Amino acid sequence: MNSMERVRATLAGRPLDRRAIAPVLGLYGARLTQCPLEQYYTDPAAYARGQSAVRETFQPDVLCAPLAFASIGAAFGGELVFLDTPPPNLRRPAVQSVEQWDSLVLPDPDAHPRLLYFRDTIRLMAAEHGEEVPIAIVIPIPADIPALVMGLETWLETVLFNPAGAQSVMDKIIPFYVRLINGFFAAGATFVVMPCGFASPAIVTRDIVTRFTRPILAQVLAQLHGPVVLHNVGAPILAHLDLLTGLPSVVAFIVDQRDDLAQARRVVGPDSVLFGGLDCANVGQMTASEVEDRCREILEERRHDVRFVLGTSGPDVAWGTPPENIHAMRKAAVSLGKIEV
Amino acid sequence: MDIQQSLIERINLGDRAGANALLDAWASEYGYEHLLTEVLDPTLLLIGEGWRSSGTFTLAQVYVAAKVAEDVLGKIAAQRKSSSEGRPPKGPVVIGNIEEDFHALGHRMVGIFLRTDGWIVHDLGNDVPAAVFVDKALETGARVIGASAMMMTTALNIERLREEIDRRGLAGRIQLAVGGAVFRVCPGLADEVGGDGTASDALGAADLFDRLWEQSVRDEARA
Repeated sequence: MNSMERVRATLAGRPLDRRAIAPVLGLYGARLTQCPLEQYYTDPAAYARGQSAVRETFQPDVLCAPLAFASIGAAFGGELVFLDTPPPNLRRPAVQSVEQWDSLVLPDPDAHPRLLYFRDTIRLMAAEHGEEVPIAIVIPIPADIPALVMGLETWLETVLFNPAGAQSVMDKIIPFYVRLINGFFAAGATFVVMPCGFASPAIVTRDIVTRFTRPILAQVLAQLHGPVVLHNVGAPILAHLDLLTGLPSVVAFIVDQRDDLAQARRVVGPDSVLFGGLDCANVGQMTASEVEDRCREILEERRHDVRFVLGTSGPDVAWGTPPENIHAMRKAAVSLGKIEV
Repeated sequence: MDIQQSLIERINLGDRAGANALLDAWASEYGYEHLLTEVLDPTLLLIGEGWRSSGTFTLAQVYVAAKVAEDVLGKIAAQRKSSSEGRPPKGPVVIGNIEEDFHALGHRMVGIFLRTDGWIVHDLGNDVPAAVFVDKALETGARVIGASAMMMTTALNIERLREEIDRRGLAGRIQLAVGGAVFRVCPGLADEVGGDGTASDALGAADLFDRLWEQSVRDEARA
């Protein structure tokens, strides 16, 4: 099986030659190609070269398009800062208050260079790998986008204390978001991974998810032209996972390393794919043999769960992670062999 | 229902106005000067304990608690009274996000809860180089520096702050508190970056800074 066949078989619940593995190695490609991060996160060809190196080195079953949320904030007018080893960040958000949204002109997904960077990168990666390896792009859920434009604190304050203002912001964001994501699908993204900050039990209450986040998500997902994976955003999500089931376009969930995988499976049901594994930060903190042992434990526990993928939760696997730790994930998956239905 | 439970209920609902109304009513009877010590501090303690033991409080709820605390401090200041009336001010201390880290919300909430507890806080903002932290601590006489980081890559930059404190011969005299989301994911990271202590959330910062301040005094006396 190649990676595309393996992931499709996982989605369909069919037997596998081995478990699929999906560490998030977007950033790691820059380390492998020794590419300065400013070039890596602005030049689609540089990023695509990095992902070719990732594929050659680690043979992951999913390749990741740039995980660079700050670049979205920069497209709205935020000030971007490039750093030596992490992805870019926002020094200053584009707007300081909800009132400024009234006059804010949203960036055009078909024309803004910061947004075209994502699309052009996907196109290059899909052309080179798309027949054999799924291409994923990680973009926050629509309710998280305003945090990239005005900062988390101001957006949280708006959602909490100015619901009408929050809704008016989302009325502007939703059409932009749908165009952006459908553009990624048209460019060749196999699926879109959406970290769910404003659905995370670490960030918002169930009431906020029910009243605010989920209705927006449902509205947007119904308009998308491809499959979506909902992501834990680096914190346990189990306590709110039930609020994220039954949404259109959603085929999979990525849970946190601290979530109980058996309970997560019960909540999402038998037909959705479940990604689980180590947090990206911990992959770099452990030894290679610890990574392999922990991955084996997880895979043993999920042995009869045909729709399970061994992944990493949180953002990118960190720059300083030893390569043998990443190899250890694949080694664990290979050693456990075939997955029968 | 007592005032603390009522206040927690308002905060759980994200009802900042309702929480303020409740506190105003209490203060009109007993006085704003007692509001911090008799109502707000114990309530924040309960919220923190609840969050830590059961995970039942979210960032949103703690943010509401922080805004209510800020509102109360503002009202006390407006009455031309010290926010720490009835108890001597603590500190000063210095806080900020470590170099290359721009996720401000965590350290801002730490600042609010520290001020509510009576600390004089110098907030240096985001992306603060190690030398700037130490210079400010020396300038103000701070015995504790609080450095925040959200991601693993930026958390490792705290090692530079540790080195700067040690290089200037200030270890022990200046205590290093570290915190941020990644410290919850990676147990042991606080030790790895050279922190003298950490708290699991912003509400635990006041206790941590109390401990570290006392440690600094003890270490200096021993030296």
